[in-house]
Amino acid sequence: MNKTWIVIKHEYLKHVRKKRFILALLSLPLFVLLLVGIGFLGVIFQYDDTPIGYIDQIGLTDNSTEYQTEAPLGFMKPIEFIRYKNESEAASALEENKVQAYYVVDNNFIESKEIRVFANEAPDSSLNSDFFTFIKLNVLNELPKDLSNRLMEGASFEIITTAAEKSTRENDILVFILPFLAGFLFIMAVNISAGYLLQSVVEEKENRTMEIMVTSLSPTQLMTAKVIGNLSVGLTQLVVWIVFGIIGIAALFRLFPDLQSTRIDFSFLLLTILVFIPAFVMVAAMMAALGATTTEAREAQQIAGIFTLPMVLPYWFMGVLIGKPNSPLSIFFSLFPFTAPVAMPLRAALSSIPVWQISLTIALLFLFAIIALWIAGRAFRLGMLRYGKKLSLRDILTQRP
Amino acid sequence: MNTIEVNHISKSFGPQKVLNQVSFDVKPGEIFGLLGPNGAGKTTCIRIVLDIFKPDSGSIKIFNSSMSEEKKNLIGYLPEERGLYQDINLENCLTYLASLKGLSDAESHKRINDYLVRFNLDEHKKKKVKELSKGMQQKAQLITTLVHDPKLIIIDEPFSALDPVNTQMVKDILREQRALGKTIVMCTHQMHQVEELCDRLVLINQGESMLYGTLNDVRKKYAGHAIHLRTEDQIPNNLPGVKEVKRLENHHLYQVELMPNVSTQDFLKTLVDANINIDQFEIATPTLDEIFIQVVTESGMKYE
Repeated sequence: MNKTWIVIKHEYLKHVRKKRFILALLSLPLFVLLLVGIGFLGVIFQYDDTPIGYIDQIGLTDNSTEYQTEAPLGFMKPIEFIRYKNESEAASALEENKVQAYYVVDNNFIESKEIRVFANEAPDSSLNSDFFTFIKLNVLNELPKDLSNRLMEGASFEIITTAAEKSTRENDILVFILPFLAGFLFIMAVNISAGYLLQSVVEEKENRTMEIMVTSLSPTQLMTAKVIGNLSVGLTQLVVWIVFGIIGIAALFRLFPDLQSTRIDFSFLLLTILVFIPAFVMVAAMMAALGATTTEAREAQQIAGIFTLPMVLPYWFMGVLIGKPNSPLSIFFSLFPFTAPVAMPLRAALSSIPVWQISLTIALLFLFAIIALWIAGRAFRLGMLRYGKKLSLRDILTQRP
Repeated sequence: MNTIEVNHISKSFGPQKVLNQVSFDVKPGEIFGLLGPNGAGKTTCIRIVLDIFKPDSGSIKIFNSSMSEEKKNLIGYLPEERGLYQDINLENCLTYLASLKGLSDAESHKRINDYLVRFNLDEHKKKKVKELSKGMQQKAQLITTLVHDPKLIIIDEPFSALDPVNTQMVKDILREQRALGKTIVMCTHQMHQVEELCDRLVLINQGESMLYGTLNDVRKKYAGHAIHLRTEDQIPNNLPGVKEVKRLENHHLYQVELMPNVSTQDFLKTLVDANINIDQFEIATPTLDEIFIQVVTESGMKYE
């Protein structure tokens, strides 16, 4: 078996088999499931399927249509509407708990816009809108079915400007959410993988196993294997989380069918991947270099935090990036290698980016990745046998291994 | 063909010159001693031979050409900085390191278990490495050095954490490996071990090669013109050919320095003629320890 492969396998299994890893892997989905579960329980306990009574003095609902509220969860009973002739009838129904509340539409409703609600306890506010939907449906009843449906559902506005801004469907939440989430997941993955990598390189020094290793395989093989092995650990974690995320989104789609109209752009995905891969390698190589130059795991982890800081910077300037995706600051963020992974996909989703900017961003990222790998390689050769002694950047650049 | 050829290597770390024009050869099938006081440059020298460091100048040949990845499987190395993965169990650690020397899983499993039994580590194989004592870890490290049946064994201070029983066992193993035709380079400053085991040696001090040759050559070179003499009789002060008489550890053993023009044969005759009863008469060869101290202090003075 190829020695690089042996090390990759060892590094990967070492982490994946640990209890700590499995806990970390399951903690996020479990947390999400817990939140969703609590949400569901809340709905189940709050929901009251007792019918609603109403008194319609104007006769808006004289040609009453079939309408029931949509129950929040499929298995629940929808709420019915019962019409009463006068208030005393409705009041006695309320007393006997036949209805949970009753609405009174007075003769002067058109002028006063007031509808009175009587209930034993203040009803859920969604009940009010359900009732009003019911009224609207009855009024629109005489129009053709598809027209009334369209009027009830509202319209989606597509904005097409003469400027470079891309046409965006305004109510496509995913247009914002997708790059936002992608950037977030990227930072998570980088941090997790880089953490493992850093630990693994420093451990090699702490355990003094470096000499045994480099007399068994070449330093390049060793470093490549460590980078790949530990990135795979981070990716495994990420993939598991994404799978749970997709399950979550699928569940979301069931609850909010409106989202289904969103399409995911292929060129957007391609750009994201082209930005993420070199950025991933760049950060990983820097972590490896850091691990090779420092002497203790704790110290290395503290310094590692410095790399994370610029990556999350675009989130602090989210307003600028979303509001003015072509402002100088936004352009700078999308070009600068550390902020590009978050800023570039976000800009790409909101605006058309000139080809030269995309090319420059990707070229810069690849360049930085190569430089980082080169530095890591040198730091690794120079630093690996320095026990208890730090390696400065000047040493890395000037000394002979 | 020499197993290792070191030709005039020099190496500096920053302003500090660690090795200066060091040369030596290691012949197949011998135990070669690489000696020197602490900080002499022994470990750096080994690391250059193993291609961990690059020399500033000079060249290395190992198995007749420069180092390559394939040759790494032919070499077993016990570094001075002992290191094993502390957080995994002993058996896994050894199997992993053996697989990196090109052994198949089945083969390494068998050999590792044989060695674990031989080294009395069998019952500890499921323990984490960090739970083992220092001596046990050193034995485990020795398994890593030998498990892939290397042609060349390079060991740095092999006896440092071992008790006398284990020291003897390691010595036996080294002799056994030599008998199998393996070449062994032993890096140490424990001179009596070298006297027992080594065929040839080089002594490095402050980065320079001070002595190089077979054990006997080196001894002879440093043998003065002196005799160890054990007798119960009084040695007269005016014996011809004698420069100085020193009484050694007990009253009956003397070290006799001879005049340069007097042979030991002549001196023996003189003693017989003087009617002195001789219990013991031998040429005084210095121990390696004495040579070592002499060389190191002399060269040290040169530098100061």
